[in-house]
Amino acid sequence: MKIVVCIKQVPATGADKRYTDDLRLDRSGVEAIINPLDEYAIEQALRLVDSGGADAVTYLSMGPEQAAEALRRALAMGGDDAVLVTDPALVGADEWATAVVLAAALDKLAPDIALMGMASDDARGSLVPGAVAAKRGLPLLSYGAELAITDGAARIRRLSATGFDWIEAPLPVVATVTDQVGEPRYASLKGIMAAKRKPLETWSLEDIGVDAGTLRGGALTRVTDSRPPEDKPPTERIENVAAAEAATRVADWLAARKLI
Amino acid sequence: MSNDILFLAEFAVGRPARSALELATGAAEFAAASGGTAVGLAYGAGATGGAAALGAHGAKHVVVLGDEDRPAITFAGAAAAAVGASAALALLAPATPNGRDLAAALVGLLDLPAFGPVRAARVVDGVVETEQATLQGSVITTARPVDGAPTPSVVLVLPNTFTPAEGGTGTAEVTTGADVGGSPFGKAKVVESHEADARVANLDEANVIVAGGRGVGGEEGFALLRDLAEVLGGAVGASRAAADAGWIAYQLQIGQTGKVVKPQLYIGAGISGAIQHKVGMQTAEHVVAINRDPDAPIGEFADLYVVGDLFQIVPALTEEIRRRKGGA
Amino acid sequence: MGRVTYRLSADHDELRAVVRELADERVAPRATEIDATAEFPWDLKELLAKQDLLGTSMPEEYGGTALDTIAQSILVEELARADATTSLIPIVQKLGALPLLLAGDTEQKARYLPRLASGEWLIAFALTEAAAGSDVASNRMRAARDGDAYVLNGSKRFITHGSVANLVTVFALTDSKAGGRKGMSAFVVETDSPGFSAPRVEHKMGIRGSPTAELTFDDVQVPETNRLGNEGDGFKIAMTTLDHSRLSIAAQAVGIAQGATDAALEYTSQRTQFGERVIDFQGIQWMLADMASQTEAARQLTYAAAASVDAEASDLPYWTSSAKLVAGDTAMRVTTDAVQLLGGYGYISEYPVERMMRDAKITQLYEGTQQIQRLIIARQLLQRAGVGRAATKAGSETVRP
Repeated sequence: MKIVVCIKQVPATGADKRYTDDLRLDRSGVEAIINPLDEYAIEQALRLVDSGGADAVTYLSMGPEQAAEALRRALAMGGDDAVLVTDPALVGADEWATAVVLAAALDKLAPDIALMGMASDDARGSLVPGAVAAKRGLPLLSYGAELAITDGAARIRRLSATGFDWIEAPLPVVATVTDQVGEPRYASLKGIMAAKRKPLETWSLEDIGVDAGTLRGGALTRVTDSRPPEDKPPTERIENVAAAEAATRVADWLAARKLI
Repeated sequence: MSNDILFLAEFAVGRPARSALELATGAAEFAAASGGTAVGLAYGAGATGGAAALGAHGAKHVVVLGDEDRPAITFAGAAAAAVGASAALALLAPATPNGRDLAAALVGLLDLPAFGPVRAARVVDGVVETEQATLQGSVITTARPVDGAPTPSVVLVLPNTFTPAEGGTGTAEVTTGADVGGSPFGKAKVVESHEADARVANLDEANVIVAGGRGVGGEEGFALLRDLAEVLGGAVGASRAAADAGWIAYQLQIGQTGKVVKPQLYIGAGISGAIQHKVGMQTAEHVVAINRDPDAPIGEFADLYVVGDLFQIVPALTEEIRRRKGGA
Repeated sequence: MGRVTYRLSADHDELRAVVRELADERVAPRATEIDATAEFPWDLKELLAKQDLLGTSMPEEYGGTALDTIAQSILVEELARADATTSLIPIVQKLGALPLLLAGDTEQKARYLPRLASGEWLIAFALTEAAAGSDVASNRMRAARDGDAYVLNGSKRFITHGSVANLVTVFALTDSKAGGRKGMSAFVVETDSPGFSAPRVEHKMGIRGSPTAELTFDDVQVPETNRLGNEGDGFKIAMTTLDHSRLSIAAQAVGIAQGATDAALEYTSQRTQFGERVIDFQGIQWMLADMASQTEAARQLTYAAAASVDAEASDLPYWTSSAKLVAGDTAMRVTTDAVQLLGGYGYISEYPVERMMRDAKITQLYEGTQQIQRLIIARQLLQRAGVGRAATKAGSETVRP
């Protein structure tokens, strides 16, 4: 039972972030971390190994060479090996291009479960998993609060409008999990030391059989402008007044905006 | 390529989701600008019966992909066939888990450019141009499809971006989508279904949300928020801390791993406003926060910040609003 | 005496990042509560054990991770920045194990180190007695030979973790007539031995979550195979241990000072008075600059001392004493300034700096008072200058603790 966890290296939450002059995300000089929501996917995969449901975990990432750091951090949490797909043609790749590349790499790795977090901190589109499943012709089990393996199938527990459902599909599948799987483990010191010795391979587009030409320069979309958000008017504050007075002032504020 | 604007119309329990009405409205607006028509792709329980009524919100034509109650993504095959046949300019999809999954499948099946979730979108020179708040809202980017990209462009739309008008008339022409047989997505099936004891409000449909966080302290505190929500005609939401503590159902969690909402009015009580929550509500029209801590992060982006004890202020506010509305 | 040089590596940076994350997320939120309840943080001990952070001074063959001394200092520093009490867990684990590492034979190491490295067992270091602090040689506890065992009688005072440890390295006189310097031996005692007890713990100014215990030994039987080294080696083992372990205190002090500096920076950047941010006043900036640069100086000296330990420098005690002296005094000064910068808020327990100030004081006291450190440094200076052993009031015998 082999699991591949797809992870993305993103700028640290709250770090000073900008776009470069050619309107790509400036990743230089910014502290990079594993996309926090991917850590839940890592944790879910490692829990399946702990419980004996899975026996091999590989990490897969697409990104610049620096993304190998994120893969090492993941290996420090557990898992067996990692693959980084990196290629100059992938600079500025959008979600579609990411899906094309990950799908090809996953076809080569052929796991029983391709597991991802539910969204990435920077792009927040959440489109990659579904697009990858479509490209690979596999079922998608998405937004799982829990992932379980049964005989030849995988199932996730997903919140519904009125409670929760268990959704099941025969292997192989593409799956995504939410933060409800549980707190991701910290990398232990021995884990960090062992990670340095675990295999980490680098693949180019050629290695996964993707012709750079079909990637249309790495994206079907392009950013044409970037700017800081409009200045908001400063926050109005109500403080140092009794509750009744505060309530009156808030009600006045709401009324002035026709909200009541 | 036509100038039509497609939109996903999700149905559940026999009714259209609010997103279906909002996107019909939005698609009609764009279609007016692009010189095409709004075409809905309807799916889910009640789609067949309800499709024509989407005409009241601006849809000229609706293709029914299927009437069964199954995960949205399982309609991807039929949707792709309909999209492929349409050569439309854009496809609007709701930025909900279901909408994203179905949109994602279309991106993968048809190699479509995708944008979202957007805070604004328009048709410029015959292509879609979108505005998104990226990097946790710290940068606004404008984006377009690259020259010669396949169409339609898929655009994820947050709730409450478009407002369905009341009392429209008109019916849409309804056709049935091609039967594409089993698709891989259809292999995912619901094998167990568990209902919660109480019905949980759908935050996507709420115009007013009163949300509680760690500061609310427990279920009793949430009762106070419920009263305020009721008098405002809104719903109750929560931060992850409150959901983890079991004070409220997970379906009501707003944030990075919960719902992304865009109500007219958001009132956060006892919520610090950490980034994980902020990204779920930062596009709300008006943000009011009530917190004991004068320096909570939510104070930096709220429109109105009330420093004080929520256990006193919330009931007082409920009373005051009730009084102004002239009722008991 | 060669030059001691060092360089920080990417591995050091990674370790710092990992420990800082753990400290920020799991240790710092508990610090106030640990201080208020004065309860030993068992949960954090389990966490540190699970993260392999209690065996960093122990060889890999016994389950440790054998980090270099700079890395060990970074670990302590980052924990102490969040909470001085918690940083004592790896500090004392190393302190207690050092006699075993320095003087234990292979069988003894194999018997005990694995459970210490994994953190399953805690170990304490029992040298100090009620009447023997700086004056170690005046220790009175006895270890009487009885066949192939010893019988220990006496008591120890101010033993960090003495009441929660599974093992204690104990120093006792096997030859009272020979006196402390030549007649002391070192033993490893399992604390579930009959006759051993920790009847009371001290009520303290700071590091309140760390239990400081009085230990009593009432006819405690210890097999010969638990004696470390030969009879009479005890004093030397104790002194050599302290030469190494005081460096952990230097690292702890650096961490405390950094935590206080960071807290003061954050507060003064948000507090406004007279229409301005407090941090924009020149006088405030001068204080912050002094705090930061002095902490950095203490840090760099600590790393240099760590490098001298790894290089097995012949003047190692000079380095470790210098680091502990400078870092301890820096921590006291910086935390006092931090309280000052927060004004009234610095005095109340809602803000962490008053706790940091109370915690800092111990770094000037334990593992050799600052006064003893000065004597150690002075002895080295005199030796280098060729002016031999210092003539002190009490004679050269008592210069070196």
